[in-house]
Amino acid sequence: MLKKLSYIILFGLTLTSCSDTLDDINKNPNATETPLAPYLLTGSLKQGADLYWGSENNFNSSLLFVQHWAKIQYTEPDRYDVSNTSFTSLWNTGYATLITDLNTIINFPDAQANSNYKGIALTLRSWTFLLLTDAYGSIPYKEAGQKVTAAYNTQKEVYTGLLEDLAKAQSLLGTTNGTVTGDLVYKGDVAKWKRYVNSLRLRIALRIADKEPALAKQAAIEATTDPAGVLSSNNDTFKFTYIASPQQNPASAWFETRDDFRISKTMVNKLKEFSDPRLPVYAQLPSDASVGTYVGGGNGLSNSDANNQGFAKTSKPGTYFLTSASPAVIYSYSEALFNLAEAAARGFISGDAEALYKNAITASFNQFGITDNTVISNYLNQAVVKYDASNYAKSIGTQKWIAFFGQGLDAFTEWRRLDFPVLTAGPDTVLDGKIPSRFFYPGTEQSLNGVSYQAAIADQGKDLLTTKLWFDAK
Amino acid sequence: MKKILNRYIGLCILLISIGATAQEKQPLIQSKVGGTVIDAVTKEPIIGASIVIKGTTHGVQTDFDGKFYFQTGQKLPYTVIVSYLGYKKREFTINENSVVIDLTEEQNQLSEVVVTALGISKEKKSLGYTTQALKNKDIAETKETNFLNSLSGKLAGVRITNSQGDMGSSRIIIRGETSIAGNNQPLFVVDGVPVDNSQLGSVGGATRDFKNAIADLNPNDIETLTVLKGPNAAALYGSRAAHGVVLITTKSGKSQKGLGITVNSGITISQVATLPSFQNSYGQGSNGRFSFVDGKGGGVNDGVDESWGPRLDGRLIPQFFSNGEAVPFVAHPNNVKDFFNTGLTYDNSVSVARSDEKSDFRLGVNNQKQLGTVPNSEVNKTNFTINTNYQISKSIKVGVTGNYITTNAPALPGGPQGNRAAGVMLQFLWFGRQVDINELQNNRNVNWNNSYYSNPYWNAYYNTTSQQRNRFIGDVHLDATLADGLNFRFRTGVDYYNDRRKYTIKYGTNGTPFGSYAEDAYTVNEQNTEGIFTYTKKLNDDFSLDALAGFNIRNHSDANNYQKAPRLAVPDLYTLTNSRDPLTSSNTLSRLRVYSAYASAQLGYKNYAYLNVTARNDWSSTLPSNNRSYFYPSINGSLVLSEALNLKSNTLDFLKLRGGWSEVGNDADPYQLATVYNFQTAFDGNPIQTSSQRKLNENLKPETTRSTEIGLEATFWKNRLHFDVAYYNTNSFDQILEIKTTASSGYNSQLINAGKVNNRGLEIQLDGSPIQTENFKWNIGANYSRNRSKVEILDYAKQIQNYTIGSSGGVDVLASVGQAYGALYGTAYLRDANGNIVVGENGLPKADPTKRVLGHYTPDYLAGVTNTLTYKNLELSVLVDASVGGEIFSGTNRTGTYTGVLASTLPGRGAENGGLSYYYPNNNTANGRTLVNGTAPSGVTVYDDGMIFKGVYENGTPNTKVLSAQEYYKASYNISEAYIYSSTFVKMREIKLAYNFNKSFARKLGLEGASITAVGRNLFFIYKDAPNIDPETAFNTGNAQGLESLSLPTTRNFSLNVNLKF
Repeated sequence: MLKKLSYIILFGLTLTSCSDTLDDINKNPNATETPLAPYLLTGSLKQGADLYWGSENNFNSSLLFVQHWAKIQYTEPDRYDVSNTSFTSLWNTGYATLITDLNTIINFPDAQANSNYKGIALTLRSWTFLLLTDAYGSIPYKEAGQKVTAAYNTQKEVYTGLLEDLAKAQSLLGTTNGTVTGDLVYKGDVAKWKRYVNSLRLRIALRIADKEPALAKQAAIEATTDPAGVLSSNNDTFKFTYIASPQQNPASAWFETRDDFRISKTMVNKLKEFSDPRLPVYAQLPSDASVGTYVGGGNGLSNSDANNQGFAKTSKPGTYFLTSASPAVIYSYSEALFNLAEAAARGFISGDAEALYKNAITASFNQFGITDNTVISNYLNQAVVKYDASNYAKSIGTQKWIAFFGQGLDAFTEWRRLDFPVLTAGPDTVLDGKIPSRFFYPGTEQSLNGVSYQAAIADQGKDLLTTKLWFDAK
Repeated sequence: MKKILNRYIGLCILLISIGATAQEKQPLIQSKVGGTVIDAVTKEPIIGASIVIKGTTHGVQTDFDGKFYFQTGQKLPYTVIVSYLGYKKREFTINENSVVIDLTEEQNQLSEVVVTALGISKEKKSLGYTTQALKNKDIAETKETNFLNSLSGKLAGVRITNSQGDMGSSRIIIRGETSIAGNNQPLFVVDGVPVDNSQLGSVGGATRDFKNAIADLNPNDIETLTVLKGPNAAALYGSRAAHGVVLITTKSGKSQKGLGITVNSGITISQVATLPSFQNSYGQGSNGRFSFVDGKGGGVNDGVDESWGPRLDGRLIPQFFSNGEAVPFVAHPNNVKDFFNTGLTYDNSVSVARSDEKSDFRLGVNNQKQLGTVPNSEVNKTNFTINTNYQISKSIKVGVTGNYITTNAPALPGGPQGNRAAGVMLQFLWFGRQVDINELQNNRNVNWNNSYYSNPYWNAYYNTTSQQRNRFIGDVHLDATLADGLNFRFRTGVDYYNDRRKYTIKYGTNGTPFGSYAEDAYTVNEQNTEGIFTYTKKLNDDFSLDALAGFNIRNHSDANNYQKAPRLAVPDLYTLTNSRDPLTSSNTLSRLRVYSAYASAQLGYKNYAYLNVTARNDWSSTLPSNNRSYFYPSINGSLVLSEALNLKSNTLDFLKLRGGWSEVGNDADPYQLATVYNFQTAFDGNPIQTSSQRKLNENLKPETTRSTEIGLEATFWKNRLHFDVAYYNTNSFDQILEIKTTASSGYNSQLINAGKVNNRGLEIQLDGSPIQTENFKWNIGANYSRNRSKVEILDYAKQIQNYTIGSSGGVDVLASVGQAYGALYGTAYLRDANGNIVVGENGLPKADPTKRVLGHYTPDYLAGVTNTLTYKNLELSVLVDASVGGEIFSGTNRTGTYTGVLASTLPGRGAENGGLSYYYPNNNTANGRTLVNGTAPSGVTVYDDGMIFKGVYENGTPNTKVLSAQEYYKASYNISEAYIYSSTFVKMREIKLAYNFNKSFARKLGLEGASITAVGRNLFFIYKDAPNIDPETAFNTGNAQGLESLSLPTTRNFSLNVNLKF
C-alpha cells in the first residue's frame, strides 16, 4: 500500500511540470524588450500629429483662444473655465511617449539606428520640446528623461538648448548617411528633413527675437545660410496625412459623433472683411439652407447663448479639415515664408520682406487649393492686405493668423508674440476680460514633482492662465 | 530547482519507510469488550470518538454507529479515556461488555476547536492570534447573490464594500490596507484549495463593475467560513496571506447518517434603496428657456441635458413625444425611480449526502436566477458540487471535491462614469425633470435628448454587456497514517475558469452611430500541489508536540483576448467580421510559479501554555534570480491564565493571554523586471512601436510585512459573557510599488521597492446572553474595530511624497507621506486668512491653485451589533452596523448640482425658494444685474432667482455680485472640496426571522427537519451624512475607494427561504 502511495505522490508531482525554469516563466510573452527604429519613428510621427491636431491641445483649447473655432455647446473651455487637469496630454504624451521614444532612437548603438534616424529623432524631439515650452513656459529640459523629479529650465535655456540640438541634428543628417524607413512624412527624403531642421531653427530664432535679438539674428543667419535651405515649396510642408478610420484625422473622428464646434465669428468676419477666397475652404454653409451665407459662432458665450445661435444656422469648419484623410499640418511652406519675411523685416537677414510676405500668402492659398493667379493678385492688392512696412507685426501677424487656421498651438504662440490681430475675450469668459497667455501645468506636477514645480513658478510667476511667458514680451 | 524537488521526494520516501517499519503487534488477548458512545442530550451516536485504555497507548475509534470494540491483554475492569472534539473528556471504567458511554458537549472555550492555516484543526486556546468563524446560517440565509455582502458587520476588523447596484462586486479588507499598490484583499481557500477572487476587466472607470470571482460560490454549500486575521494567523500560507485568509469549508457527507436529502428554496425581492433626491419645480433647459424640436439643439435649449429650464407649472411647451404640439410642462417626480424594476431572485438547491464506515459523499446542485433592478438585466448561475471520501485501507483515505459553476448573464447593467451608450445613472443625473419615463418605455426610438444619449430603455435592451463563465474548482487528496502520530496528506487542486464578455452597442445609438461589438475573454488557471507531514506526540505528562512540514508548488496563469469591431457594417449583426474598420485587438498571457517549503511546531505544556513557531521559504518566478528565494518566520504563544493560575471561579470561567510576532514575504506580479515596448495598430502597413511608459525594475526584492499582535480572551458567568480583545501593529516594508512619476522623468510610472506603511488597530468582540431561560434566550453579539494607517516612507531617496492610487473627477486618491492611507487630494476653495472663500470680480468662487488633502476614505472605526431573540423554535435577529469617519468624493452630487436636477439646488430658485429679485438695467444683459431695491424701474424684466455666493473679494470686502441660481450652482463644479462628504453611516443591515419546526412535527410530514426563514437586508439608514448616495459604494474592488460617480443605486432585499431535510 505504501509503495502505491509513493507512486501516487510521484504522479501528483509530475502534474506540476518542472521543465520550464522560473526565469523562462517570467519572460514577458506580451511585448518586446528590443524595439526597432523605424517602428518607433512611425509611432512618434503618428502620435505627435494626434497630439498637435487632437482635441485637448487644439480645437478644445488653443483654437478657441485664438478664435479660429468656437464652441456652440459645453462652452467651458471657450470661456476659459478650465482647470489644471485640462492640459495634461501635451505634457504626458509629449514627455513619456514622444521624447522617450525619440531618446530611445538617439541612444541606440549605430548598428540599430544610422545617423539619419538619430538626426530625425533629435529634430522631432526638439519640435516636441518647443511645443511644450511655447505652451507652458519653463519646462524640464536638461534633466527630462534623466531624473525621477526633473528640474525645470527657463524658456531662455530651452530655446537656446534647442538651437544647439537642431544644429547637431543638421550635422547628423546626410543623404549618404543611410536609408530611413517608417518615415510617413518625408518618405525617407533626407534633403527635406534638412530643410525642415533649418525651418525650425528659423522659427525658434523669431521666438526669442524680442528678448535676445543678437542670438536670434545669429540663429536666423545660420538657419538661412545652411546649404540645405529652408522649406522651399508646398511639397516640403511638414504634415502628417491621415487615412481612413481608425487612422483618421482626429477632428474628423470627433465630428463623426459630436457636434459642438463652429468656425469662430472672428475668423469668418475677418475673412469676409478681406474678401478672402479661403472662406469656403475654412467654413461650411449652415445646414439650414435659408441662411445662405457663412455665419461664425461667437466665442466665450454662456452655454445657452451659444446654443441659441442655432446649430443649423451657424457654419461648421470646412470639410477640408473634417474628412478622414485631412492632413495635420505642422510646418507649412507658407509659415517658412512668413518667417523669412519677418526675419528680413527685423533686419536679421537680407531680403525683401514684402515680396516674402506676398509669397507666404500665395503659398497659403496654394496650400488650400486656390491657384488662380488673378484671384490671388486681386487679394494681395487690397489695401487691407498690403504689407505695412511700418508695422510688419500687424501685417504678418494678421495673415499668419489666417494661414495657421487649424494649427491651434502655433497660431496661439504667434498671436501672443506678434499681438495681431487684436482679439477680444468673449462676454462670458472668466479671466476678467483677458485671453489666456499659456496652459496650466498638469495638476499632477504638484504631487509628483512638487519641489521642481514650486521653483519654476517662483521664477516664472503664478501657475495661472494669464501669466505672461518670457518670449511674450508684450 | 530540481535539487529542491529531489530533496522533497527524498524526504517523503524516507518518512514512508519509517512508517512502514512500525507494524502493529498482536498482544495476548485477555478480554473482549464492545460498546457505544452517544451524545448525552440527543442520544445520537458519536462517530469517530477516541477511546484509549488509561496508562497505555492502545486506542480505538468509534465507527459509523458510534460503536467500538476492544480485544486486549488487559483484564476487566479497566479504565478508558473517552474523548471527542467539542465534548468533555471522560474517564470510564469498563467492567462488562456492551457498555454505553455518554459524553456531554463542552460549553467552554477550553475545548473549542477552530480551523487554522492549511486546514489544520487546533484547540482555540492554543493559538496566539485571532480567528473568527461564521456558520452556514449566517451566510446562506441572507440570500445575498454576492455572499461576501453577508459578512458585513458580523466580523470584527473585516470591512465589506458593496461596490455597485445588485449585480456588482464586493470588496473585503481585513485589518486595513497594508499594501500601498497591490491587492489588499485576503486569500480565499476552499476545502484546502486556494481559489481566485480577482475582478477581471473592471479597472478604473470601465463600463461595468463585474462580480469578484469568489462570488461564484454557492453559499448553501458553505459549512463554515473562518477568517484568519493578519499575517500572524496566516504566516504558513505565505505571500498571499499578508492580508489575511478566508478559509471556507464546504459541506460534506461525513455527519450524515444514512441517506439525507436537503431541499432549499428561496425567493428574494430587491428594490432600489438609495436614489438621489430630485427637485420637481424646474424642467429641462437653460436660463429658464426650453422648447423641443429635435433634441439636439434645433429647438430652444433642447440639446441641453440639464434642468435649468422653465418652471414645471403646466405651461404649454412642445416636448419630445408631442410631435411639435405644445403640451403641459409638468414634473414627473418618480421618473427615475420608475425606470427601475423590482428585482427578483429565485434560488433553489437540492443536495444528497450519505456516509458509512468506509465512505461519505455529498452531491449538490443549485440554481439561481436573478432578474435585476435595471430593466433587462439577468444572471443565471448553476453550481454542481461533489465532495466524497473513501477509506481504501486502514491507514489510507482518498477523496475528491469538485465544484462546477456555470454563469450566464445575458445582460448586465451598465456601469458608472461616462459611458453614454450604456451608463444608467449618467443619463438620470444629466436629465430633464419633466421627462415622462413612460413615454420612453413605450417607444424606445424616441428620446428626450439626442445630443448625448439614447433612450434609457434602448440602452438597457440593446446596448448590453453579457457574461458567460464556466468554472471548475476541485481537488484530489489523500490522507495516510504512516505511524503512530505521523500522518501525511497530499493534495492537488485546481481552480480553472473561462470568462467571456460580449459588449454590444446598437447601430443608431446617439454618440455611437454605427454601433460597435466587442468580445473580451479571460482564462484563469490556478493550480496548487501540496504535501504535508504532521506529527503529534505527547512527550511526557506535561509536554506535547504538534509538528508539521510540507511543500507547495503553485502555478498560476491568466490569459486575455480582446477584440472589437469599432463600427458595425450592418445593424443588428453582432460578429467581429461585421466591421467597417480593422478590428482593434489585444491579447496577453501571464504566468507565474512559486515553490514553497514550510514547517511549524507547537509545543504544549499542561494544556495551558502553548508555543507555536512557523517558518516558510518561497522561490518565486516573478523575482530576479538573486532575490528569488525569501524566508519568513513567525512565533506566537498562548497562556490560559484561568488554568495556569487557577483563577477559575463562579464569575470567571476562562481567561487567556496571547501574543505573537510574524513576518510574511510577498513577490511581485509577473513581468515586472524588464522594461518593454508595445505595439499599436499599424498605420497603412507601417508597424508602430512605442514605450509602455512604465519603467520596470530588474533588481526587485520581495516585500516584507511584519506584524505583532497581542490579545486577551475571557468568559464569565458560565459562558454568559464572552469577551475578546486584540491589538495589532503591522509594518510593511520594501513594497513593490509602481509609483506614478511626472512624465518629464520619461515614464508615467516606475517600479520601485519602497516604502513603509504602518497599520495599528484594535478589535473587540463581545458576546453575551443577558437572558437565558428554558424557552427564551436573548443574545447580543457586538464587534468593534479601528484601524489607523500611516504612510511613513515612499521611496528611500525621499523624492516622492505621493503615490496615486486612483483618480476621478479631479480628485486623486493618494498614499501620501505622513498621511493615512487613501488621502483624497483635490482642489479647494481659495480662502483668505480668515477662512472666507475668495470670489472674483464676477462673484464666482476662486479655486486655490494649490491642491490639498480634503479627506481620507478609510473609516475611523467599524462596529456591528446583532441582537438575537430565541423563543422555543422561533428566532429573531437584528443586525445594525456602522462605519464611522472617513470621507467620500461624490460625483453624483457634483453632476446633479451642476445640472440642477437635485433637490439641493432648489434654494434660491425663485422667490418662493428665497431667490433675490434683480433686473438688467434697460433689459440689457451687458449692463449686469442690479438687485431690486423697493420697486424695479418700469419696463424692465424682473428675475427672482438671484443668489450671492457667500465670500469676499480679494480686498476683503463681502461679495455683493448677484448670480443667477444656475450660475451659482455651477460655480463649484471644478472645486472638489464642495463635493467631499463624510462617509459615516449606521445601517439597519439585517433583520431575520427564522422558525425551525420540531423534529417530531417534521417527522409527521415525513421529514427529518424543516425550517423557514424571512430576511430583510440593507433595510434603511439609521444615520448617514452623504446626501443622495449610499456612502458604501465604490467603483470596484480596487484600492481607489472613496470615489463615487454616478454609481448604480444599491438595493434593499427581502427574502423568504424554506429548507427541508428528508
